[in-house]
Amino acid sequence: MNASRTLRGLTLACCGLMLIATSGCSHWIEMMTLPAESDTRGAQLIARDEQVPLILDRIHTTKNGSPQNPSAETEQRILSSLADIGLFSHLTSINTSAPVYGEKTVRARLLFDEAIDPHAGGAAWKGIIIGASMYLLTPLLPFEYDYAAHLSLELERWDGQIKRYESQSAGTVRYHLFGATTIMVDELKGHVTESCLTELAKQIANDTVFFSASSAPHSESGIRSVSVKPRTMRPPASASTAIPISAPALAEP
Amino acid sequence: MTPSPLALLIAAVLSSLSIACDAGETVPHLTVGTQEIGLSAGYLISSRLTDQHSTKQSGPAIMPSWAMVLTDPIGWRWLRGHLMLGAEIVYIQFQEPELTHGVGFTPKIKWMFEGTGTLRPYIEFAGGPFYTDLGGRIPEESARFNFILTAGGGLSWFFTPQLSFNVGYRFHHISNAGTRYPNLGLNASLPFGGFSFYF
Repeated sequence: MNASRTLRGLTLACCGLMLIATSGCSHWIEMMTLPAESDTRGAQLIARDEQVPLILDRIHTTKNGSPQNPSAETEQRILSSLADIGLFSHLTSINTSAPVYGEKTVRARLLFDEAIDPHAGGAAWKGIIIGASMYLLTPLLPFEYDYAAHLSLELERWDGQIKRYESQSAGTVRYHLFGATTIMVDELKGHVTESCLTELAKQIANDTVFFSASSAPHSESGIRSVSVKPRTMRPPASASTAIPISAPALAEP
Repeated sequence: MTPSPLALLIAAVLSSLSIACDAGETVPHLTVGTQEIGLSAGYLISSRLTDQHSTKQSGPAIMPSWAMVLTDPIGWRWLRGHLMLGAEIVYIQFQEPELTHGVGFTPKIKWMFEGTGTLRPYIEFAGGPFYTDLGGRIPEESARFNFILTAGGGLSWFFTPQLSFNVGYRFHHISNAGTRYPNLGLNASLPFGGFSFYF
């Protein structure tokens, strides 16, 4: 009788531990806006010789409203995302290469606004409750971390015309205590940023014709180039007669 | 003359610190989900708070621990820091008044201040079940099954972004929550030192 009760107790304890171990070790990401399918078919129509380079002029990054230093990683990701559209001949940053004078280029300025809500207060209370329950309530109290991004891209054509594009996305990572990892927040940020960039790329791809080289002449309002050549001096007409020059004969010794 | 183990330990710590300081950047990047594995050791010193307390329990203590960062830095000014939740196992070898042992499991909550980046003070609170065969052999405690409550603070020195040297102080209270009498409880101070690894 005692043996069966002990066995039953052990089985229940094992089931309980299994439940905590399996349901307390998970994390998942919920996106508020699903990543849109990138429609870059229009961009493929542009001929190679019609493509112009894009220069990333400036990235302005803010986090919860306060200005941040943009990272090289973000810059690289934005450039590669724009390169995937196939609309521009090549993409560079203003920091890495200066524009060639007189070349038709598209200048890009990006505002990257991030909003982060780690639900710190809720996490603190849940942590206290979970600790007080000797971790038994771990499966019942998931934690949350919200991240939202708003991208605003301004593309200025070589003739000064400007097109603006905007996209935004948000997501939440929900996790149980034992399922938390340092990369889960990076995963969330990656998904949200990708969603925004995909949406931007879709919008830009719809303006293929606007960015083709033949769509507009080079701006006339800018600094004009002036060719300077050395003036050839014309000799006076009177000097056209040949003047015989004779070298004095060397004296015979 | 052979060097003592303590001297060897100090030499090892100092050499590792000098290597780490040469490495340059040592400010840790703690974020949600960062885990901490630690090992601390100290010496328990009796604190007899009332005239009824007569036992002068003392002995070494070892505390392996785990904790996780629950929040990004929150708070203002010098209060700014991370909330951490974790657990630790406490093992105490009571050398006085009799050679006995005690082991406990305590969930703990810890607030780690941002400090200077490499030097980070913290405060912590922990509590949980504690079993000791000292119970029943002393007038203050009649039961072997007890609870241990701990509160204290310390200072973590990150000599690499992932490794810190910690020193601190804790106040321990051991009693059985009134499940058996007498239940005066044992109080003790525990200065300690140890290392933590963050990943």
